[in-house]
Amino acid sequence: MKYYVTRLFRSFLTLMIVITIVFLLMRMMPIEGYFGSGFDKLDAGQIEAKLKNLGLLDPLPVQLKNFYISLLKGDLGQSITYRPKVDNTKILGDKLITSLRFGVASLTLSLIVGLSLGILMARHKGKFWDKFGTCYVVGANAVPAVIYYLLIQVFFTDIFKLPLLFDKSVPKSWILPILCLSLVTTAYYAMWIRRYMVDELNKDYVRLARAKGLKSKEIMIRHVMRNAFVPMAQYLPASILYTVAGSIYVESLFSIPGTGGLLVTVIQRQDNTLVQALVLLYSSIGIVGLMLGDILMSAFDPRIKLSHEGGSR
Amino acid sequence: MTNNEKVLSVDNLVIKFNLRGQELTAIRGASLELYKGESLAIVGESGSGKSVFTKSFMGLLDANGRIESGSIIYKDNDLAKYKTEDDWIKIRGKEIAMVFQDPMTSLNPLKTVGKQVQESIELHQNLQGEEAKKLAVEILNDVGISEPERRYKQYPHEFSGGMRQRVVIAIAVACNPNILICDEPTTALDVTIQAQILQLLKNLQKKYQLTIIYITHDLGVVANVADRIAVMYAGDIIELGLSEEVFFDPKHPYTWALLSSLPQLGIKGEELYSIKGTPPNLFKEIKGDAFAPRNPHALKIDFEKRPPYFEVTPTHKARTWLLDPRAPKVEPPLSIQKMREMEVKRGERLE
Amino acid sequence: MTRKKIMNDINDNIDPSLFEFAEYDETKSELTGYSNYSFWKSTFQVFMKNKVAVALLILIVSVVLFTAIQPYLPNQKSPTQIYINPETGLQYRNIRPNDPSVSENFIFGTNSIGQDLWARIWSGTRTSLFIGVSVAIFEAIVGITIGALWGYVRKLDAVITEVYNVWDNIPTTVVLIILTYVMKPSISTIIFAMCMTGWLQMARFVRNLILIIRDREYNLASRCLGTPTSRIITKNLLPYLVSVIMLRMALAIPAAIGNEVFLSYIGMGLPIDIPSLGNLINEGRALMMDPNQRYQLFFPAAVISVVTISFYVIGNVFADSADPRNHV
Repeated sequence: MKYYVTRLFRSFLTLMIVITIVFLLMRMMPIEGYFGSGFDKLDAGQIEAKLKNLGLLDPLPVQLKNFYISLLKGDLGQSITYRPKVDNTKILGDKLITSLRFGVASLTLSLIVGLSLGILMARHKGKFWDKFGTCYVVGANAVPAVIYYLLIQVFFTDIFKLPLLFDKSVPKSWILPILCLSLVTTAYYAMWIRRYMVDELNKDYVRLARAKGLKSKEIMIRHVMRNAFVPMAQYLPASILYTVAGSIYVESLFSIPGTGGLLVTVIQRQDNTLVQALVLLYSSIGIVGLMLGDILMSAFDPRIKLSHEGGSR
Repeated sequence: MTNNEKVLSVDNLVIKFNLRGQELTAIRGASLELYKGESLAIVGESGSGKSVFTKSFMGLLDANGRIESGSIIYKDNDLAKYKTEDDWIKIRGKEIAMVFQDPMTSLNPLKTVGKQVQESIELHQNLQGEEAKKLAVEILNDVGISEPERRYKQYPHEFSGGMRQRVVIAIAVACNPNILICDEPTTALDVTIQAQILQLLKNLQKKYQLTIIYITHDLGVVANVADRIAVMYAGDIIELGLSEEVFFDPKHPYTWALLSSLPQLGIKGEELYSIKGTPPNLFKEIKGDAFAPRNPHALKIDFEKRPPYFEVTPTHKARTWLLDPRAPKVEPPLSIQKMREMEVKRGERLE
Repeated sequence: MTRKKIMNDINDNIDPSLFEFAEYDETKSELTGYSNYSFWKSTFQVFMKNKVAVALLILIVSVVLFTAIQPYLPNQKSPTQIYINPETGLQYRNIRPNDPSVSENFIFGTNSIGQDLWARIWSGTRTSLFIGVSVAIFEAIVGITIGALWGYVRKLDAVITEVYNVWDNIPTTVVLIILTYVMKPSISTIIFAMCMTGWLQMARFVRNLILIIRDREYNLASRCLGTPTSRIITKNLLPYLVSVIMLRMALAIPAAIGNEVFLSYIGMGLPIDIPSLGNLINEGRALMMDPNQRYQLFFPAAVISVVTISFYVIGNVFADSADPRNHV
């Protein structure tokens, strides 16, 4: 129990530090981002009045205090250029649901394919499936994702006659974005489960299990796979949440109205408050994900609650 | 103690490994017979092949190793011909079980100790569920774990090293095997625990009618438990005999050297004996007696031709040309003679 | 060679003179042992055994050399100049590779404003490689320094560990986006932003290695035997350190190239007048729905794939071959 409390507290502290850093960095941004399209026509007095109105001329500690107070109220400010005067929470809320749908779908796909591929690779180490999987993992890890996303967009729309852009009402238009979203995470799951399984296979207890007469298949299922899944459990929630938050590339490539696509748009439109809100959203998701990972792993591994690791993950 | 019913007979076994693109001969034609109910100790320094030798009885050689020739006869089957896992499953656990050196890593850290013992029972004793659990608790009790009911539910990290080794032994015993191979069973343990574990193995041997092979480099362990001793050097058994024969009337110069390096045999005021040189490179073909280059008593023929086994008594044989009638008489080193005298004196006193 | 039968008979035709003592030579007894192991030799041997890695190594070395000498080769065009057809006075827009109807020869064709794609790709590769190598070097410098302090100065351990935990919890993408958003777009901005996230891994590995030197038994043993520190470092530590550092650096390059492409994609990359692989991909993407113009996407995509895969594979294979456990 103490472990969970400490872990929770650590995450909370991290989140506070990150929020503060993000907030301070955002103060360094060009002030154009607070005005929208008419910036050039404003004179100095108008600019100052507006900045004052937004509270941007207060001393930094005051700004920070006000920022935290509004955060506690669940207020992330209002959009400036993207949808002027609309609450950011409202904009994000709609987008998150779309991202969530895609996240869950691609996650299911990549877990099924990735874990099967990884297990296949570990069982046939050095044989065809291992080599095939390794090529895939190397490609997915090394080459920038946008390159194969673009190739998929170019060729799959041609060959399979699939729609190029996402349209909520056309079921076929879900296929390519989900495929793209799954490609990288599938490679990760395959790589992790293979690595951990190979690690486990070299351990002494597997030798003992073999010596007592268990078949390789039984050793795999009863001992190795279970044990290999424990270190994976640590990264699982983080990767789930990342996918849910939406891939920045995929959503904007397929015009999916999710948070990832939104980020690209608002960066290009220099909507400062919305960029800030999105960055906060992403960092919180990352931090919460890692925390859930640690908690999940401790639930699987009886050793963790006893030994306190000093942060060296 | 010993009778004449053979349970396992290994003949002229050759085992090779592929390593760094080269071929290594780990076992060079070793032969051995194992009798029902006995305790046999295989002694030798690290790398002499004692582990590889016994692993081959269970098909547990690493993937780059293979049996080149020879036979391992167990219950009229030649295990050396076994290739597939399905063959070996009939032997592993059920007929031959093994206890490994390091109890800290031999157990699955994420399964309760009891479940791991129970797994053996369910595999080999046709018991499932509650019945298997009952037997598992019983066996945990047999290996000297107090409060077995409570300990059944605990994980390996809650056990000390000695206790874990008891669990490993319980797992092996729970398979109900004929032969138990103990690979350095006490090396990783504290000295005080070592004696307890050896005593436990002795007790279990009686209770479950086990034939035990001890693999060790510790002659102290051997003296404690072994009925017979096989001395291994460079992948070959160079001397084999009853425990007292090998200890008090050794014939092979390597056995002399091994016994002389026992600290207990050191002569006061003199430097402790140690064997000069290093074991031979198993990548190269060994000509003659493998020990010859390190042997101060080596004959010219030792470098030319491999010695056959010479019989000393019906139970004692050694592979050394020194036993050939044409060879010059060589007295064993002083410390060995001293040991023999001590034994004779002790024997006289007993009479 | 071996006899099954225990035999004591003498009818074996052995020359009795052989039953004399051989001369005992203590030095000879040492000769039989095996120890001709050399770490670097074995590493090299294991690496060379991997045909794919060797092929990629040759490939990437040629690509790097070519990008370096390409501007000095004869008949090369400028990557930024807009070429104008002298007959019509119009720009050479979207000329397909080696188009025979055009009097000037563009090996990879031209882009939508009449710049030579061949020259732009090599110029972009140079930019991207420069970014990648700079990031790798800065990461190594910062990472090794912080990692060494972290591992060596016990007082700093707790502090840096906490900082690490906080920093490592923030998604890399977020750091990249916010830093490039706040600063002016330029090569140094991009390199800075990438270094801010990249040093973490390097520092952690170096710290763990330093702990290994301090705490592993064999190093303690070496020190007890009076081995000089320099020898402990070169024989016990350096092999580990070099392989880890090389791996991190080799992986930093494809990661940096990928990040540059990402930043260009979201509009936070280099100014468009600097050719980079990210900018080229963006230009290609704008035209990719026209099958005739797809070459503008495919050529830079192919170069990026070759470069990133090569560094990734070579780094990993080298790290594997530098692992003593694989020296069998």
